Amino acid sequence: MELLSILTPLFFGLVAAGTVIGIIFGAIPGMTATMAVAVCLPLTYSLGLENGLALLLGLYVGGISGGLVPAILLNIPGTPSSITTTLDGYPMTQNGEGERALKIGITSSLVGGLISLAALYLFAPALADFAIKFSYIEKFLIIFFALTVMAALSNSLLVGIFSGFLGVFISLIGAYDISRGGNGELRLVPEFLEYYLEGGFSLLPVLIGLFGLSTILIDAEDGMKEGKGLSGVKIGGKPFKLSVFKGQIINLIRSSSIGTFVGILPGVGGSAASILAYSQEKNFSKNPEKFGKGAPAGVIASESANNGLTGGALVPLLSLGIPGDSTTAILIGAFTLQGVQVGPLFIGNNPITWDAMIIAMLAANIIMFLVMVLAIRHIAKVVTVPKNILFPIILMMCVVGAYTINYGVMFDVWTLLIFGLFGYLAHKIGLEIAPFIIGFILGPSAEIYFVKSLESFGTLSIFFTKSWIAALLWVLIVLSIAFSVSVARKKKRMADNMDA
Amino acid sequence: MSFDSPFHVTVDFSTSHMIFPTIIAVILGILFISILITRGSTILATVSNGNWWPAGIDHKRFFGTIALTVIYFLAMPEVGDIFPNTGLGFYLCSIPYLFALSTLYLHERSRRTLMIAGVNALIAPSVVWYILSELFNISLP
Repeated sequence: MELLSILTPLFFGLVAAGTVIGIIFGAIPGMTATMAVAVCLPLTYSLGLENGLALLLGLYVGGISGGLVPAILLNIPGTPSSITTTLDGYPMTQNGEGERALKIGITSSLVGGLISLAALYLFAPALADFAIKFSYIEKFLIIFFALTVMAALSNSLLVGIFSGFLGVFISLIGAYDISRGGNGELRLVPEFLEYYLEGGFSLLPVLIGLFGLSTILIDAEDGMKEGKGLSGVKIGGKPFKLSVFKGQIINLIRSSSIGTFVGILPGVGGSAASILAYSQEKNFSKNPEKFGKGAPAGVIASESANNGLTGGALVPLLSLGIPGDSTTAILIGAFTLQGVQVGPLFIGNNPITWDAMIIAMLAANIIMFLVMVLAIRHIAKVVTVPKNILFPIILMMCVVGAYTINYGVMFDVWTLLIFGLFGYLAHKIGLEIAPFIIGFILGPSAEIYFVKSLESFGTLSIFFTKSWIAALLWVLIVLSIAFSVSVARKKKRMADNMDA
Repeated sequence: MSFDSPFHVTVDFSTSHMIFPTIIAVILGILFISILITRGSTILATVSNGNWWPAGIDHKRFFGTIALTVIYFLAMPEVGDIFPNTGLGFYLCSIPYLFALSTLYLHERSRRTLMIAGVNALIAPSVVWYILSELFNISLP
């Protein structure tokens, strides 16, 4: 009954509004689901936890889905996760099958979203039940594992690890938190900033700076060029029929499952999911030569995988407190805002919120499908909204988000600028933002788990000998490092061969 | 933290706040040196090429965005102090900020595009200020 009292028209209205706004953000090249969630987070202040999550989850699902529109119509991925959608989606548009490609992508997105939602519903509680037994040592090793996985999937292993550790280092600025067992002493803070940085940099202004302001600075550097318009793009043409999915069920399920699995790996992101699913489908296909020339199977693989990510990325967040990607990292901010801690105890202690989240995700997927199928021709026009109108509004919303997060602290607004510039610089010199963010979020917990383990046991060997889970985690850590070294060597060999 | 034997450690609570930052700083230092060793030649080549930042970027729009944003951030609390607890610092500063940015980002300035920028600069802050400050009572500068 309590759940029913939460499922009000307002709840579903917020899911719908979030989904539509998310689709718009996703459809505009350069804007992402992460940005949508970051910019709209302050709106959830007065909504309460469940209603706030309804809006944010709608934004998440819509933001990931909207990216297929410019990918298919303009050959520009709206979000990084729709990069492989361009490979076959755009050739389909050139062949006069734009609407058909869009509807194939939308339907695949729905299937991917629903399969990953089922995985979330089944796995997250089980993983949380298992994780409740973890001591500080296992928790520390899980964070360590998360960082190695992220680094392993970065463009450069060394830079990925460096970025992750840099995030951890910056997160340690401020006092060693007394409320979590620290001694309350300040570290890494210049004297003139002690007043502002006692609690360290706030998470949300950091995220908004990295994903909002820095994106706009990167575009400003490039001259704010307007993208190509829709003139000359033929959306109509060959009609969409469900029969296109005949023989594609395995592709749909495999790609959705790949997306879900990649989502569960912390910090990996949607582009890896869609690239992996696309290459798998191409490998298994009887007609691999058709890929890249307008094969519907390519659009199906890419879109079902990137929407498969949505449920998957919530699994580690809700069961371990570790975000699966940068968007779910911002969702941590929504929980913090409402005074709720995510981790192994979350689902057990908040069953109503958990059920509400599942219903919101389900509704968001259905609304996304209906809105995009029924209004795809109108949504397609969104890709041509001028940046000179849109970006100033987003910058203003970034300021609102940063200022309101701690009930009106101007230093948080400056934090937004500092990390906006840092994000821009990171982009220029090739630092990896995803490992940085995860390192920043998990750094303080890693410190507590590490130092408290040493205080309790007095030996470093305890990290290897505490339990079989610890031993298993070390095996996984070694495997992920070995995997990344092998991939790096392969890349180097390929580059050497190309040079030769 | 002191090492009694290769694996055994004693943690001094009064200095425990520096254990983890020190370890992370050492790891960062090692990683930084490793990156310099493995990529040093590429970095040197890029810098000596002369094509390094800020060459080739749109100076007007990039530095203009930063300058306008800094002015906006400095002005908001000052104006806010004149009208305390009303959110008017945000509202009154956002209008010129949005108009200036919109105009800066325009590639073809005509009466029509400037008019659209102006209307946008008036409507967007008004809507945000009204919803957040007036309806939801959320504090704004």
